[in-house]
Amino acid sequence: MIKLQNVSKIYRTKTIETVALNNINLEIAEGEFLSVMGPSGCGKSTMLNIMGLIDEPSEGSISIGPNTIKDYNGKPIAKFRNENLGFIFQSFHLINDLSVIDNVELPLLYRSGINGKERRAMAEEALTKVGLKNRMKHFPGQLSGGQKQRVAIARAIVGKPSIILADEPTGNLDSVMGNEIMDILLDLNQNDKTTIIMVTHDETMARKTNRLVRLFDGSQVS
Amino acid sequence: MIKHIFTLIWNKKKKNFLLFLEIFFAFMIMFAVFAFIISNMRVYYSPLGFDTENIWTASLRIPSSSDSTEVAQMKTLLLQELNTMPEVESASFSGLAFPFSGNTWSTGNNDNGFNFQTCIFFSDEHYAKTAGLDIIEGRWFTEEDKNSKYFPVLITKKFREQCFAGKPVLDSLFILDDDGDFGEFVKIIGVVDHYKYHGEFAEEQLGTFVYTPSTSKDTYVAHIRMKNGVQPDAEEKLNKLIASTTKRADFSIRKLEQRRIQSSQSTWTPMIALMSISGFLIINVALGLFGVLWYNISKRRSEIGLRRTVGATRANISFQFITEIIMVTLIGIFVGLFFAAQFPIMKLFDIENINYYYAMLSSAGVILLLVLICAFYPSRQAAMVNPAMVLHED
Ligand SMILES: Nc1ncnc2c1ncn2[C@@H]1O[C@H](COP(=O)(O)OP(=O)(O)OP(=O)(O)O)[C@@H](O)[C@H]1O
Ligand SMILES: [Mg+2]
Repeated sequence: MIKLQNVSKIYRTKTIETVALNNINLEIAEGEFLSVMGPSGCGKSTMLNIMGLIDEPSEGSISIGPNTIKDYNGKPIAKFRNENLGFIFQSFHLINDLSVIDNVELPLLYRSGINGKERRAMAEEALTKVGLKNRMKHFPGQLSGGQKQRVAIARAIVGKPSIILADEPTGNLDSVMGNEIMDILLDLNQNDKTTIIMVTHDETMARKTNRLVRLFDGSQVS
Repeated sequence: MIKHIFTLIWNKKKKNFLLFLEIFFAFMIMFAVFAFIISNMRVYYSPLGFDTENIWTASLRIPSSSDSTEVAQMKTLLLQELNTMPEVESASFSGLAFPFSGNTWSTGNNDNGFNFQTCIFFSDEHYAKTAGLDIIEGRWFTEEDKNSKYFPVLITKKFREQCFAGKPVLDSLFILDDDGDFGEFVKIIGVVDHYKYHGEFAEEQLGTFVYTPSTSKDTYVAHIRMKNGVQPDAEEKLNKLIASTTKRADFSIRKLEQRRIQSSQSTWTPMIALMSISGFLIINVALGLFGVLWYNISKRRSEIGLRRTVGATRANISFQFITEIIMVTLIGIFVGLFFAAQFPIMKLFDIENINYYYAMLSSAGVILLLVLICAFYPSRQAAMVNPAMVLHED
């Protein structure tokens, strides 16, 4: 489904050149739940961003299905991200000036052919799934970390994407809340057949997934 | 999308309030400055109705105790002498109320079934030609008018439109002065296009030209139209001629063109000052706006990154930022328009309402344009943000 071929990412600043990813070859199958582990700075986020088409590799190529990606800023890629990808971040990235429901609706705003009523219904459905329907009118500032992450999950799934990319989704949460989030993701993978790629530092979380990829200094070690 | 942007603005009303205030005050100040400038410029560009180039004046200050016959002889002689001078095209006499003199003689009443207030200009039979007046109906005075039963007068177009609209006026009679200074009735023999005699920046008032023969001792301001391209020594020659003919030295020759320039100076100066102040104001508002927008966008980099991640194109991002700022601007302008509309409604100043409407339109237009220009670059910059980079930042 997603295929990385000889992907490298090199960050160059005036003084230093960092190889964030070094010749990665990886193929993710449909319906898979993949976890990515490795020490801090080894390139996990970089890899996830490249898979999510919000960052360009310095070398190598990404294919989604039969298509190899060329223009990362064009309209077709924006549309693809919108319809097929859902993102979850360690630091939630909610818009503080929008209510919970408006945050969840956000991806649908950039999709054509959906009216306000449908958007609202879909957002409510997503919030119900993460158990936060009663907090719809709240603002992010009024929520706990676990609740914020559940809102972010609702936002990631509202457009019914086939792939979810989660970068340390439980990294900022305690183990109880972390488990709740993990359960939601497992449920999405098992019942909705959503492909999930999750970066984590937690071995027990990783063990619950189908496959584990380990990175070290930008290279895949297992 | 528009509704979404509106929600965003509403949720951020506190943050947007300062921007709103800036727009509002900028609008109000611009409105005031524009109203002042526009009303002055509209008067300025309305026609004067007479010529100033090559027209010289000399006030002879004839005492009212002088003997009428002597004065008549002297004035006849002076006109003759002037007309024989090769540099002179024509000459005439008027009363003290003449262009840029600062003098006014006005009268008014409501004895005719309408109310009016008009300035009165005493003029002889040569004045229209000398001053270059435009007569749009009827004719100017001739010497035969001396024997007229009623005082012959010409009125200005403005007077005609205001008090005799749609009616024929030639040969009609009306009461000009209820003290009977001009007999019971005066008779209209013609209409003059314009006579903005107070100055280029003074709104034209209603005017009535009352016939006063050139031999009368009541009109002693000589108007002399010189031919094109007169030599510099013409003034000296003219001076000598008038002095020897009138046996007086207490007059001075002044050029109408210079008076025109002088009389406008006192309006040009504050107006240019105001224009430069409003120029600075516009630059200031622009810089302020640019700063605020730039700051806003840099504060919202992760929001931009997120939007891009969930599927916004670069165009979506620019559109959102430009629309946000335009909406706040429009709110500021609408509130400003509400206050500005009180000026014409309550008639706070003695200027025509149309000036306020133009001022509203132009200040709203200038501010919108300013905002668009200032929003363009920051919004483009926002669209260029690399989502992976900014989401990594915190
Ligand atoms: N924009 C950037 N400019 C320069 N170097 C960068 C940039 N982004 C990431 N890097 C470097 O690339 C390497 C990989 O970063 P990345 O964020 O992918 O690590 P990570 O595995 O996600 O780490 P963590 O577990 O701490 O999140 C790091 O050495 C980092 O310093
Ligand atoms: Mg990371």
